Amino acid sequence: MEALITFALNFIYSSATLALIVLGLAMVFGLLGVMNMAHGEFVMLGAYSAYVVQSLGLNFIWAVPISILVCVIVGWFMEWSIIRHLYKRPFDTLLATWGVAILIRKGVEVIFSRDYKSVNQVMPGTVDLFGITYPSYRLVLVAIILCLFTVLFLWYQKSKTGLRIKAMVQNPELASAVGIDTARLSTATFIIGVSFAGLAGVLLAPLVRVEPYIGLDYLLSSFFILIVGGLGTLEGLLIGSAVIGGSDALISTIFDKTAGYLSVLLISILFLWLRPNGIFSRH
Amino acid sequence: MAFSLVINIVIFAILIAIPFLTNSYSAYQLGLYLLYGMVGQGIALCWGKGGFLPLGQALFFGIGAYISGKLLQGDIGWGIVLLVLLLSIIVPATIAALVGLLVFDRQIGSGPYFSLITLALSLLGYQLANSQVWLTGGFNGLTGISGLPGIDSYGNLYFFIVGALLLSTVFLVYLIRTPFGQMLEAIRENEERVQFLGIHTSWVKAVAFAISGAVAGLAGAFFAPHQGIVTPQVVGFILSAELVIWTAVGGRFGFIGPVIGAVAIGFLASGLRDSFAYWEVVVALVFVLVVLRMPGGLSGMSLSFFKRFFPNIFSREQAPRSKIIPAKQSILKPSLIFENVSVNIGPVSVLNELSFSIKSSGIHCLIGPNGAGKTSALNALTGKLSFNKGEIFWSDNSLKGVRPFRTPKIGIGRKLQVPSIFPNLSIRQNIDIALWVNRLRLNEFFSMSPYSWDLKLLDELQSSFLFLREDQELAGNLSVGQRQMLDFTMTVLAEPDLILLDEPCAGLSKGETEEMIEAISKLALSSGATFIIVEHDMQVVELLSEHVFVMHQGKMLAEGSLEEIRANKEVRAIYAGGSK
Amino acid sequence: MRRRDFIKSSLTAAAATAAFQTVASRAIAGSVLKVGVMIPLSGPAGLFGPASKNVSQMAADDINAAGGILGRQVEIIFGDAGLPPAEAAQTALRLWRGEGCEAFIGMHDSAVRGALINVFKEQVPYVYCPNYEGGECANGVYYVGETPAQSVVPTMTWLANEKNCKKFYLIGNDYNWPRDTNAIAKNTIADIGGEVVGEEYMPFTVDNFDSSLAKIKETGADMVLITLVGGASVSFNRAFASFGLADNVMRLGTLIDENTLMGIGAENSKNVFSAASYFANIQTDDGKAFAKSYSDKFGSNAALLNGLSTSCYDGLTALDAIAERAGGLSVKEMDAVAEGTAFASPRGDAVMKNRHLTLDIYLSEAIGTDFKIIKTFSQQEPGNFCKA
Repeated sequence: MEALITFALNFIYSSATLALIVLGLAMVFGLLGVMNMAHGEFVMLGAYSAYVVQSLGLNFIWAVPISILVCVIVGWFMEWSIIRHLYKRPFDTLLATWGVAILIRKGVEVIFSRDYKSVNQVMPGTVDLFGITYPSYRLVLVAIILCLFTVLFLWYQKSKTGLRIKAMVQNPELASAVGIDTARLSTATFIIGVSFAGLAGVLLAPLVRVEPYIGLDYLLSSFFILIVGGLGTLEGLLIGSAVIGGSDALISTIFDKTAGYLSVLLISILFLWLRPNGIFSRH
Repeated sequence: MAFSLVINIVIFAILIAIPFLTNSYSAYQLGLYLLYGMVGQGIALCWGKGGFLPLGQALFFGIGAYISGKLLQGDIGWGIVLLVLLLSIIVPATIAALVGLLVFDRQIGSGPYFSLITLALSLLGYQLANSQVWLTGGFNGLTGISGLPGIDSYGNLYFFIVGALLLSTVFLVYLIRTPFGQMLEAIRENEERVQFLGIHTSWVKAVAFAISGAVAGLAGAFFAPHQGIVTPQVVGFILSAELVIWTAVGGRFGFIGPVIGAVAIGFLASGLRDSFAYWEVVVALVFVLVVLRMPGGLSGMSLSFFKRFFPNIFSREQAPRSKIIPAKQSILKPSLIFENVSVNIGPVSVLNELSFSIKSSGIHCLIGPNGAGKTSALNALTGKLSFNKGEIFWSDNSLKGVRPFRTPKIGIGRKLQVPSIFPNLSIRQNIDIALWVNRLRLNEFFSMSPYSWDLKLLDELQSSFLFLREDQELAGNLSVGQRQMLDFTMTVLAEPDLILLDEPCAGLSKGETEEMIEAISKLALSSGATFIIVEHDMQVVELLSEHVFVMHQGKMLAEGSLEEIRANKEVRAIYAGGSK
Repeated sequence: MRRRDFIKSSLTAAAATAAFQTVASRAIAGSVLKVGVMIPLSGPAGLFGPASKNVSQMAADDINAAGGILGRQVEIIFGDAGLPPAEAAQTALRLWRGEGCEAFIGMHDSAVRGALINVFKEQVPYVYCPNYEGGECANGVYYVGETPAQSVVPTMTWLANEKNCKKFYLIGNDYNWPRDTNAIAKNTIADIGGEVVGEEYMPFTVDNFDSSLAKIKETGADMVLITLVGGASVSFNRAFASFGLADNVMRLGTLIDENTLMGIGAENSKNVFSAASYFANIQTDDGKAFAKSYSDKFGSNAALLNGLSTSCYDGLTALDAIAERAGGLSVKEMDAVAEGTAFASPRGDAVMKNRHLTLDIYLSEAIGTDFKIIKTFSQQEPGNFCKA
């Protein structure tokens, strides 16, 4: 019974954190059609922001605005110099953003060197829950993520900007014709998307290793989740995270980690082949 | 042709001379990047020529390397080497062909899905290579690999590598010049158009992908004795990504470019990486620049540079058209029947129990207001729009569930609304592809003889549309009107019995319209084919057709001669015709 | 060039390469001796790089101050051994054939070692420095690091007895060092009447150990033997403690050094035990002198000393000692005299036995982010792997 509860909590934690990581890419890929291969690097930048804040001796909470600042600057520059010119060329954005990813990685490596940094646990300790002990920080993290998604969902449904974004996505020319500044909206969407990635990095920093190359794993997981969950809906995002996170956790528990990863790959390949638009998508 | 040959000869001469110009160790190092360059050539075939990007090509390279590493153990003779070479070509090629067939068949266009699948497969390969220790040695890899018998891996193996590279280059350059290669390029330009010409495009792409796998596998076969160790990195994503980068930077539109990319970037990077920490930053910057501004990479840049001073340096002698193909006999009694065809997209009834029939040859026009369903009817007829309710018969063939590329085989030719030609190919190439469709036998795909084909119909069309004789001109440089004419020419060269023209005069000037009308009438008379022409311009309809159909809201509203239609009250009510 | 000339010149080149070895070993006294030092400058073990680099440089300087090797001044050329094995082998090859290194020392993982041995093909002397899984004997290769017979068997036996551990969980990365080490550990566990309740091998990039931790909890393991490398070890140990497992489950590792411990953090290090032949704070005279020289030379903010980096010092010293005794740098000459070669080491006087070293082993407990030595096992034998 204990094992089951632990597994359930791990599953929720895994799905929630994956959803948070993918959120930024879902925005950028789903709304703008940009396959941002540097997505993982923004998560990495967020994690490093947490590290920097810690080295400066500041309270962990400062990491959030600092990571947002870093991601906004890098994201804005990236959008202005590269992405903007490639909106209609998905392959080229894929390649160009891969190049940017290398640049960001090398930049971080030059500044911080390649060894593993660690960010101290901001909320150490465990809680006793349903008869098992579970790390408190993880539970708090899940709560934060659930709140965030609820807020986002409501905002997208109800707000004017959300409506404008929907219009832009469905019919860019018409949106432009009725006065929606599509260029500015695209830039804003991209920047917000990468900032969410940074936020994910900050929140996860106390739990993961921090080094310049962690971005790649996040990128790959993100693509797999988007493939399964489809683009365009928050529900799809959550379901994709659950499927990917869940299969990994389940198979890893029954067999081993390698089998878990293999199962994720196989599921993704199957979806790519048979249902490339995901479980349900609007495209 | 001569100039490219000279360049290639010079390059290979330099490659062979390298060990003597420098030392055998530098040649040894260069050898590795020549192998990577070979894999890049396969990527160029798929991406530059075929328009689909494989992101996991290291998988095939690695399979070749593992096969080679596994079999080249202990004392071996040349028999084993031959076996290794064969297997490392066949196994990856088979896997690639399977993947290609499964994936390409499901989607038109090469979207990101194919690329992501190849990426996922490469990751899968990496995981398997790591975990199946019994087969691959796991993370530690396969060691104790013998070199080729009597060949020093640090010495003369280099020449074998150059030989393999020469082989792959010659093969690929030849391949792209064959009709198969031309079709591959046409698919890149406009896959749908190629399908409507009658080619099963997913097979062409799958074969190209298989060939790229074979080339990669062959390179892998040399990797094992060269390096003496095969580890999972050889199938993984990082190498796959680097290969794409090197191909892009070197130039994906040719086969020397990828080699240049691998050598210039990869080779230099490995040397400079330790001494110059920013080297990889420079490479990434160059890569981004190439993607943004120089899609042809370094070699593309050099070629345009040369072309500026010597514009005709790369023009090739075209085989003269000397072999006349006999004209096809058209069918005696055409029969097209639409029976209650209905298609709903969401709440909209695109076709609403559409029923009509055509039993005579000649020109029939299909008119109706916007949104009446005219193009949808043609789409349903040619497999572009699937319909569940109703039936369509052409010459007793049921067209339910037909795939677009099958329609020319049953004598249907279609010209789409937007003039669809292959912009980066010359007029000659565009025409050749249209000419070959439905006529090529399997062996002729890979021979040069179809270039000499001629057709009486082609001569007639070339006299109707004089610009067609300037056949070295790039089709993309033609005006809209000329593109329509070229598109029309391509459609009818297959000598279809049922010719569907969707607004053939759209975008044409008054003079061009007259030329087009004349050509269509002439063809109708000489070929005896059945035409369905969708048109908005009543003058054109007047001049061309004997019989007119009027559609409205997915149904057939009326049919008859133009006078009868004009007099029809219902038609007048829903449709205000106009003329230029 | 005509075919005859070309064949002649390639044959000459081949002969020259073979002759290169002989020429090199009789190099003119006074010319520089290039030694390739392969250490991890990137990757999962990258955190061990900086200290190893410092120590290697210090060793070279000390050797040069005493006259160099066979009268030749040593020049160190570093190569990144933190890359995957094939790539590291390429680097070593470049140092050997491209740069002209005549000997190598290596402070890197066993997979890379296998690749390097595959490349060197017993043509170049190579000292392997860190602890490893034992069992090797190739011509021209010398080992100055501890084997599981030294670092695992006595320490695990003692600790299991002290803490009354009956159920053992083995977790490591997926390659030969963890697997071979665990094979030996399982024999020890059987000898003390214990039970192996889990054995797992993780890919290098794994960050999420949830499923393993759940299994550790579920099986009721009381000791975990950790053969994870570098960063993975850090992540695992942090997650381990975050689930509250640290209080009741002992953790033992042979690759948990001062840097790794810093990464794990004071709040997560309860009941972490490390077994090695050297810790930065050992109180032997040789150890203290060495630590002082290091901090004098590199300052107090330098990368932390640990067993791995210190082994580089032994690696170069051993190379020097064997070469001097042999009078040359060829594999044949050195192999002939290796047995019984003695040299001074920060770990006490060292004597080579069966190409390995007999060593004192220390078992430490982590107190915060420091190691406290709680038991010494003196003069442990490495095991006999060379049949010759």
